Amino acid sequence: MIQLVNADAFRRQATLNITWAGQNGDLPNAIAFDAPDADIRRWAVEAVRSGIPGISADADVSFRDFVVERLSATHDLPNRVVLRPKTPFG
Amino acid sequence: MRKIVIVGVGALGSHAVLLLRGVGLERGAAAGCEIVAIDFDRVEQKNTLAQFHSKSTLGKNKALALQQSISFLFGVRIGAVPHRLTQDNARALLGGAALVIDCLDNGPSRHVVQSFVRELGIPCLHGALADGGTVGRVVWDDKFQIDEADGRGATCEDGAHLPFIGLVAAQLARAAQQFLASGQQMSFQVFARSPSTFV
Repeated sequence: MIQLVNADAFRRQATLNITWAGQNGDLPNAIAFDAPDADIRRWAVEAVRSGIPGISADADVSFRDFVVERLSATHDLPNRVVLRPKTPFG
Repeated sequence: MRKIVIVGVGALGSHAVLLLRGVGLERGAAAGCEIVAIDFDRVEQKNTLAQFHSKSTLGKNKALALQQSISFLFGVRIGAVPHRLTQDNARALLGGAALVIDCLDNGPSRHVVQSFVRELGIPCLHGALADGGTVGRVVWDDKFQIDEADGRGATCEDGAHLPFIGLVAAQLARAAQQFLASGQQMSFQVFARSPSTFV
């Protein structure tokens, strides 16, 4: 059976990678690469409240000051939206 | 001789120099490098808790103190520039570098580095830490977004996060060594409670 894949839709998808309390994990479902920052933070809060692979459930999670970074696909990594704390120090 | 310039030798930068001190002595593709450390700041008592600076160098300029320590402990000579990097001196301090490693702790200075290396096409690796010792980033310039501080305390203010700082500095040194040996540019996120991931 031939499965038709919408290449444009695939290109617009991304993995949401979340960092919280020194832990890191991916949201199991793909999201839109250009989803609004507010939606990304809301999805991440809902996900971490119930726990995702790599991040223990935490009811008090907040991503208010976190950075949303969009990293386009490379030859070995897919599109990623990274939600992480600021890293201003060196 | 290839020049590796490390800008900012506080928590990450001082340990990166410690770990990279041998690149000039190595055999093979990573051989033939000289390290130059740049920092205008002075060693304070609190710095000795989380940076590779000792009580014997209190009050000294950090770049000169590191030069002295590396020479005294290992007999290795590194260059030291005891000045603040600015737009006006960027060409003199960073020009001709084969690799720039940014370990600064403020956005404006990181912007000076980023704009200069982008203008001249100089490879640049950034090391960055979140407050609280939970997350570190070792990222090549094409993927590096500069974050501004928001008033919270730095990770290096006390010694509680020294092992994590060492972990991030080791990833930084490893990424630099890999680049010098093969040209490969590997970027990482480093976490206190999860395995590192590629960026």
